[in-house]
Amino acid sequence: MRLMACSGMIGYGFSEVGFRRGLEMGVRMIGCDAGSMDPGPYYLGTATPFVSETATRRDLGLMLRGAREFDVPMIIGSAGGGGSDEQLAWTASLVEDLARHYGLSFKMAIIKAEPDRAYLNRHVTAGRTAPLGPIEELTTDTVDRAARIVAMMGVEPLQNALNGGADVIIAGRCSDAAIYAALPLMHGHDAALAWHLGKIIECGAQVIEPRAGQDCIIGTLSEDGFEVEPGHPDKICTKTRVAAHTLYENPSPHELKEPSGVLDSSLCTFTQVDPRTVHVTGSRFKSTEAYTVKLEGVRRAGFRSIFIAGVRDPVLTAGFADFAAACKARTRDQARSLKIDDDAYTVAFRTYGAGAVMGDREFAALKPAPTELCIIGEVIADDEATSRAVLAKARYALLHTDFDGRLCISGNLAFPFSPSDISVGEVFDFSIWHTLELDDPLEPFPITYQEITS
Amino acid sequence: MTRRKLKDVASVIRSKNAGPLLLTLDVILPDKATFDQVVAAGVLAPERMAELYRVSHNEVSVIPFVQALAIKITLPRRYRSGGPTDSDVYGAQQHVPLFDLEI
Repeated sequence: MRLMACSGMIGYGFSEVGFRRGLEMGVRMIGCDAGSMDPGPYYLGTATPFVSETATRRDLGLMLRGAREFDVPMIIGSAGGGGSDEQLAWTASLVEDLARHYGLSFKMAIIKAEPDRAYLNRHVTAGRTAPLGPIEELTTDTVDRAARIVAMMGVEPLQNALNGGADVIIAGRCSDAAIYAALPLMHGHDAALAWHLGKIIECGAQVIEPRAGQDCIIGTLSEDGFEVEPGHPDKICTKTRVAAHTLYENPSPHELKEPSGVLDSSLCTFTQVDPRTVHVTGSRFKSTEAYTVKLEGVRRAGFRSIFIAGVRDPVLTAGFADFAAACKARTRDQARSLKIDDDAYTVAFRTYGAGAVMGDREFAALKPAPTELCIIGEVIADDEATSRAVLAKARYALLHTDFDGRLCISGNLAFPFSPSDISVGEVFDFSIWHTLELDDPLEPFPITYQEITS
Repeated sequence: MTRRKLKDVASVIRSKNAGPLLLTLDVILPDKATFDQVVAAGVLAPERMAELYRVSHNEVSVIPFVQALAIKITLPRRYRSGGPTDSDVYGAQQHVPLFDLEI
């Protein structure tokens, strides 16, 4: 059974040459992941995509036309980036629009992945959630205060939609590997091989050389193993890249947790069968007794505004940390004069050139001070107006406060921009990163069908 | 004879998020001999990683993966990815402390 991952991410693109070649090789399904939590909590918090609509339309349009021409199912996982209901609706509306535009007709399944709070709280109270890493136990309070929570589906909801006759599946938050494991598992393929193949191809061109943007990758399952090769005829897969891929973004190099078990690739053999194809054998899958899905949730932490400024004066660069502390105190006094309480905001001066990237993990001696420092002044408050009011006070304090040895009495900062103050937007924090144990893998993932006719 | 540093022998030294709570560091060596040497020398032992990244050693996992000639180190992030006080959303620039480790 042959499958094609069109790209590591909808909107990151793929070549039409590679895509066409894959279709003509007789793939049984095409898929693409659309999500990631890597860009941080903001996108789930605001239910916004982190790729452009223009790029999303391009990739979806090509996939829809290819899937219909060759009559193979198409699966999009983690629609819109976070896989929340709003992001799912956005993706589905693009698909409908593209179908009309290209005159395509098909049955579309939409699978939601944003369980309601009462359902989640029943599971929290029943002790069916657990931390997934260094985070507190989940409480109903954390659930209630979250801005948005999604659950990551496994293969079962996708298989249900395929059995329901869906030509196109748009899924909410979804295991990346499940997009590709769903169909082969329905046809009785080995679980270890299906999951391992899914894991390797879900990131698209990560395993392809030369690495120039994203592209299609083709996986072919056989009885005893699977092969991966690029769609594009001028690109290659190497065994080093394929072997190294299980490392990527995983806490363990050779174990991957999926809802129904753990994929173990520690005893795998990776063989270069020709210059562009890698054969993999020896994957193992240990089923777990409990069926668990991942919960991802974010809480709103406020609204952020910033200014960016340079410091060139050598007296100030040398003593900036103490100076910044004095300016924070002055900012606090000024905010109080505006009747803004101390606990209504946080202020920070991120100092690039002096440990801003690694903070207390910085190991290098930071003296002597660099020629220049870049300061990002930052205020997070509940609302934009308060954030900007305090930021303006912080900016003024940093610009016009005296320090020992000060000669530059007309101003301490070089602002690159006018206006200096920038509203960045809402700030979120991951508050939920837990497992949820389910009796029924379908339960929190309701499916609706829609006949698209053009 | 001056001792060689990890940055002089490794083909990859990278850091990245493994979810928003964990940071994962991959060191990939160019050949089996160098891989064996680095593993045997204990350059990347959990205690040393804990000291370098200022975490407790029982929060660190160090796992060699011979098929990829790689050693993976996983430890907690300073702050959750993209939260109010985070400084590296992808965790992509936290690898440098490994450069000068002597092997």
